[in-house]
Parts: sequence; structure tokens; C-alpha cells
Amino acid sequence: MYSLWRFILKHHFVILFVLLEVVSILLLARSQNYHRNRMVNTTSDAVGQMYAWSSELSDYFRLNKTNRQLAEENAWLRQQLSITNDTTQITYDILEHDTIYEYIPARVVNNSIGQVNNYIIIDKGKVDGIEPDMGVISSDGIVGVVADVSRHYASILSLLHSNSVVGVRFKNSQELGSLKWGTSNYRYGLVEDIPTHVIMHEGDTVLTSAYSFIYPEDLMVGTVVDTRPINSGALNTAKIRFATDFATLRYVYVIRNMHKSELDSLKANFR
Amino acid sequence: MNRTALHIFRFIGLVLLQVLVINHVRLGGYVHPYIYLLFVMMLPIYMPGWQLLVLGFSTGLTIDLFTGTPGLHAGATTFLAFCRPGIIRLISGTQKFESIHEPNLNQLDGVWFLRYTIACVFVHHFSLFFLESFSFHLFGQIMLRIVLSVPISVFLIMILLFIFKSNKKGVER
Repeated sequence: MYSLWRFILKHHFVILFVLLEVVSILLLARSQNYHRNRMVNTTSDAVGQMYAWSSELSDYFRLNKTNRQLAEENAWLRQQLSITNDTTQITYDILEHDTIYEYIPARVVNNSIGQVNNYIIIDKGKVDGIEPDMGVISSDGIVGVVADVSRHYASILSLLHSNSVVGVRFKNSQELGSLKWGTSNYRYGLVEDIPTHVIMHEGDTVLTSAYSFIYPEDLMVGTVVDTRPINSGALNTAKIRFATDFATLRYVYVIRNMHKSELDSLKANFR
Repeated sequence: MNRTALHIFRFIGLVLLQVLVINHVRLGGYVHPYIYLLFVMMLPIYMPGWQLLVLGFSTGLTIDLFTGTPGLHAGATTFLAFCRPGIIRLISGTQKFESIHEPNLNQLDGVWFLRYTIACVFVHHFSLFFLESFSFHLFGQIMLRIVLSVPISVFLIMILLFIFKSNKKGVER
């Protein structure tokens, strides 16, 4: 026992180093897994508040651009409204179809695009009804999924994350694929698992598929910029340009699915 | 001012500068400068090893809190703290530091400090980028990030050092 104690004292520097590295790597390994990430509470109100203060300042310098984006979105929504007003039947259908989703507006207080795993922090949290696994979109396209919530803030697993997977669909061919980031550039992502018989063209639109419990169907995801047969297997890969510009993201909407608990209990029955 | 208070002040200043300013500077996808390690670099030379490790770990963990990457910066900065005594010995050779309490530009010449900074930044960035990808399969990409980020970080750290050199105490930030 004495010699053990002497050994520890003698090599305490190396032992402490190994100990701290092991703690770091365990923390890191846990956070790499998105679902276990929720147990490690990475979102804290103090950090959120800090980012909120700093972004309030920087927001002033972008008011011009933000205003223009919101005005463009308004114009688009007005146009949609005038289309649906033409026929009452369609209005009814759309209302019926769409009211299972509620959109909660939020402001981005911190955002990263250059890491291997990127997160976004928004200024709405538990008290505003935000829960993990809710989808997040911008006025241009989808953004990510809520990963973790604190009282007043939430962190979002951005599409620019190595664990991000989204079920998508090609607008023209109706074929399904799964979207991953796969590139280190914040503008581009990869749609994988596309059957080889699907003919793709540059500029094809990619939308969210109907099988996602996170996003409503037919939301804009991006456009195809490059199609290349990779590793000669049975499945193709397409490079797409995200509709959302992650570098200038300021305002987002969190989507609450009113039927989520129903869907979850149905899914649980199959397990 | 009290030395401990100065270290605390430098710690807060560097962390805020890192998470609120530097992390938002976008120089293409590969350049990620980190300057917060200057805090660990400027800790007293004869500080006990365990204190160095614990302070390095907590500095990294503070940055992790802001970037939402628990363990990533903590691991890299602990590694830097572990290597620091070796780096100082390697660079200084026979030079002794009896009169010097902590590494700073007022008491040590610029060339020594440049070599010290390059070594520390390289060790830190190397471990950080490897921990981040968690594997060696993106080797080319990681090397590119290191080659591009290290000079920028060294440049920023040297600028910070020269800005605060005029202070006679020579230890602000």
C-alpha cells in the first residue's frame, strides 16, 4: 500500500494527465452520439444569455439584410394566400392538412459553420414550448433538429453535423434519398442511397419526404449541383446546395407537430 | 495588481475574445484560429504540474461550454498543459529562468517567444483537430486545417502579446 502511494506521488503528473484525458474523451464520445447527447446538458441559460447579449449588438449591423429577407418572405406568403383564396376547396384542404403543425419563431443567438459538428443556439426554450426532436426551418429551407433545451434557450443540431440524417425526396421523380452533410463546406450536402435508375439533373429540387416525423412534407431542402456515381454500388449520390444560407441565418421557426405524441406511441408499439 | 487577479482577468478576456469574436471570423472552411491557449502559455513557469493540468483542463472545458463540444477543447488543452514543461525545456536549452516568473515578452526575447508560441499552437491544434474528427480517416483534410490554422493563430497571439507589451507589468491578457 505504501509503495503504491509512493508510486502515485512520484508519477502524479502523468497519472493526472491520463485521468483528465480519459474524462475528456469520454465526454466527447458521449456527445458524438446524438441521442445520448441529451443526457449531457450542453445548453445552459448562462451561456445562452451571454450569446444573446452579443448577438443583440451584431444584429444592428444586419438589420438591412434581415428586413429584406422578412419582406421577401411576407411577399411570398401573401402570394400563397391569394392562390389559396381562389378556390375555397383548396383552402379547406390546406387548413386541414397543415394545422397539425405549429410554427414558433425564434432568433439565432449563436451559430457555427466551420466545425465538424455544428450547433445553433436559439433564444426560445422549454418555457416557450420547445422540446427535443422538433424540426427547425428558416424562410429558405430546413435548418436542423432541436437537440437540447434549457429554460430559455435551445441548441439545434444543424444540418452541418456529422450525425445529421434527413429523409428527402426529389421533386420531379418522387424518389427518396437520405441527406447527410458529408462535405466540409457549409453550402453543400450529399443525398445518398439514391437508386441508380433515377435520372437526376443539375438544378433538380430536393424536398423533405413525407416519412419524416420531424419536418412537414415538401419543405425546401436544396437543389442538385452535381451528380456522380460513387463507388459503383447499387446506389447513387448527389451533391446538393442547401437552400438555407447557414452563414447568415438570423431568424428561424421551430415546428411543433401536434400529433407527435400519437405518432410516438404508434411507433413504440412496433418495438 | 495581484498576480492571481491578473491571471483571472486574462482568462476571462481571452475566453470572451475567443467565443464572441474569433469563433465568428470565417476565413474559408479550413482556418480555425484559437487564441485562448495563450492563458495556459503564460501561466508561471515553475507552477506545479498538477495545477497546470487542472487549469488547462478547466480552460478547455470553459470553451467547450460555449461551443457545445464537451471534452473537445478540454482534451486538447490538457495535452498542451502536459507538453508545456517539455516544450519550455526543449526551446530554452541551458537558459535559466531564476528571475523570470512567467513567460512574457518583457523579460524574454521575441525569437524565444515566437518559437514557444509556434510549438504550443502546433501541439494544441494538432490534438484538437484529431480529437474533433475522432479518427485518422480524414488525414489530408486535418493536415490542411493544421497547416492553414497554425500560422493564423500564431500571428494573432503574437499581435496580442505586442499590444499588451507596453504595460510595464507585462502580463495583461
